[in-house]
Amino acid sequence: MDCLLVHHWFDHESRKANLMWEGAFRSLAAGALVGAMLLSGAAVTRAHTNAALPFAGQTITVAWAGPPPPKADLDRFTAQTGAKVQWVTLGWDALQTKITAAVQAHAYFADVTDVDWSRVGQYYLLKWFVPLNKYFDLSTLKDVPQLSSFIYNGQLVGMPADSSFTVTTINTAMLKKAGITTLPATFAEYTTDLKQLQAKGVSAHPLDIPLQAAEGLSTYWYQVTAAMGGTMLDKAHKPLFTNPNSAGYKALAWIVNAYKTGLVPKANITMLDGQAQQGEMALGRVASVFSDYSGNVGSLYNIPGQSKVINQVRYLPIPGVKGTAPNLGNPDGMGIPMTARNVAAGAAFIKWFDDAHNQALWSGLNGSKDVIVGFTLPMRLSSLEMLIKANKIQQGDLLLSMLEHHAQAAFPTGIPPWYNQFSAAVNTNIHSAALGSESVQAAAQAIAQTVNSLQ
Amino acid sequence: MVSNEKRPAGLGHGKGPGRRAQFTALPYLLILPLVAVIGILALYPTYVTLSQSFFRVDPLDPPERFIGLENYAKLFADPAVSNAWGNTAYYAVFGVTLTVLVGLGIALALRYPFRGRGLVLACVVLPWALPGVVEGIIWDWIYNPSFGVLNSILSSLHVIAQYQVWISESRLVSIFFISVVQVWQTAPLAALLILASLQNIPEEVRDAGSLDGVNRLQELWYITLPLIRPGLAIAMVQSVIASLNIFDQVYVLNGNAPTGASVVMQTYLTAFQNLNFGQGYALSFLLTSLTMGISVIVLRLVYRKVDF
Repeated sequence: MDCLLVHHWFDHESRKANLMWEGAFRSLAAGALVGAMLLSGAAVTRAHTNAALPFAGQTITVAWAGPPPPKADLDRFTAQTGAKVQWVTLGWDALQTKITAAVQAHAYFADVTDVDWSRVGQYYLLKWFVPLNKYFDLSTLKDVPQLSSFIYNGQLVGMPADSSFTVTTINTAMLKKAGITTLPATFAEYTTDLKQLQAKGVSAHPLDIPLQAAEGLSTYWYQVTAAMGGTMLDKAHKPLFTNPNSAGYKALAWIVNAYKTGLVPKANITMLDGQAQQGEMALGRVASVFSDYSGNVGSLYNIPGQSKVINQVRYLPIPGVKGTAPNLGNPDGMGIPMTARNVAAGAAFIKWFDDAHNQALWSGLNGSKDVIVGFTLPMRLSSLEMLIKANKIQQGDLLLSMLEHHAQAAFPTGIPPWYNQFSAAVNTNIHSAALGSESVQAAAQAIAQTVNSLQ
Repeated sequence: MVSNEKRPAGLGHGKGPGRRAQFTALPYLLILPLVAVIGILALYPTYVTLSQSFFRVDPLDPPERFIGLENYAKLFADPAVSNAWGNTAYYAVFGVTLTVLVGLGIALALRYPFRGRGLVLACVVLPWALPGVVEGIIWDWIYNPSFGVLNSILSSLHVIAQYQVWISESRLVSIFFISVVQVWQTAPLAALLILASLQNIPEEVRDAGSLDGVNRLQELWYITLPLIRPGLAIAMVQSVIASLNIFDQVYVLNGNAPTGASVVMQTYLTAFQNLNFGQGYALSFLLTSLTMGISVIVLRLVYRKVDF
């Protein structure tokens, strides 16, 4: 009897358990069915939505020597085109190496990357970048003043990403402390003012020159040469700086002398241009950068947290030996390497990056929240006009005037394809001369020797 | 205990006189994957580098063509390359000497257990885990001539009257201070290798020395150092390789300046700046050969088999 009861109980419990499991199974199955329906519905919706986006499912890699636009802006690009953006920030020099190594090895590293103004000729000859002529109608780009820097033999090698040109910046608060009431208009006045800043104890070392052997030092020399009234190479790319009376020689001597006499901080011998601007000018350790980059006032010197000289620094028309000297264009461009995987999406990104409103945003149209730190100036005149109209750019009229009327190419006769070797010879020899390892004359001769060997 | 004999490899141990050793393929099969990886990642690129070094490989001067030893001849005549070789020799001398001395010091200090030894060991090893570029940036701030910690400390201690520019002004001084950064990275590995050898030394050996009345210096010179030769040799070889191939710290601290340019820096400039890949291959191969040669010499001079 007990066995029967046990058996009955066991049988009852089993049935109860079975029913419970069956119910659970049915619930699960129903839930799974509903879930599948919801998911498939979402997938259909997403597929339908994605079908309208031309680059849905693609991810483009942008390798750039600067920070990305704010995430919200990149998400906007994705929402408009479907393509996701993977941003890789590298130092400028390291990026150039990466481009060389990757393209030479036919290896993919990015869909969009830097095309520096100095390398346009080289890239054209080497066929390392996709010609952009079929993606951009040149006739509609009248408000891009530096476009010509990226065209070689009619081929558009890259699109300007900014309107960078060299410009003098000066700390007016320091000038006032030193009793200087008018801004220097000539090179002689500029040098005198620097010495007065030093003599009055306002700044122990008032001038910033990035003297590490790198590209920033080469660019600095080009600007000082232009201020001295000349250029570095003639039409045949022969050196014009070996004569002590030449503009290039005088510029070299002025730079070396400025370091040796203490106008430039000792630390600058190891500093790159960006390091010196961020670590010295922005922190009020120096009073002026003769060859600074356009846009730094708005994107660096007036940014809280980055600068201790907010509203103290202004642009100055380049003080040349005979009055205002030309500003030298040194824009960075964006291009699509031949090894890119998503060429059309890359071109769409460049178009988006060059959009007039976006360019204005990153220069501060909506305040600091949309600013890309270190972004120089927008590459379109229309963007600059937006900023001027909204009163969002200091000295906008002066910058616009410089860009339209005074900016010229660093090499008016064309950039030599061996620019890399030339620049390396320039910056290593100026660096050595500043250290005292060689004389100014020896440095000039060494640079000229390199130029002649490359002809 | 220190033996100059070399035991033949690859054969099993015979169990008695007249008994033939049996060949086993298992050890060779087990290392085959590693050999394949090394072959693909090291030997093949070396072969390509060597073969391309006899060609003009310059995208600005196409096409690629065979030029024999011309790349090598131009390298030997290039003053920038000669300067780089000279700098690299200094890097090797400073780097190996300091790495071994500092590594030995650390290993001796950590030889015996003490409270917190694990934590100290972890802190010591930390620089080894950092990339060379990161270390270069850290020390760039330490060496900064305007506000660096080094200047600040030395000035406070009245060792220097005014702040100094440590890198760039003088060739030897620049190379020394850049070497210090690399030693900061390589000494931990040397310390670990030497520590492993130290810990293999039986206590009885030290006790026997004490009984014979040796002092600490004598113990170090006559007992410890000979017995840790295997670890010392490997530490020295590691340091030789690192010093001869120094690049990251040089690039971050000194840029393109010729003052402290190493051979790897010169290779980088030749290949990636001047786009002369043929000469870059040649210089790279010369450096590889020299590194291997010096490593073999160091091993032959320093390494001894040690049995306890």
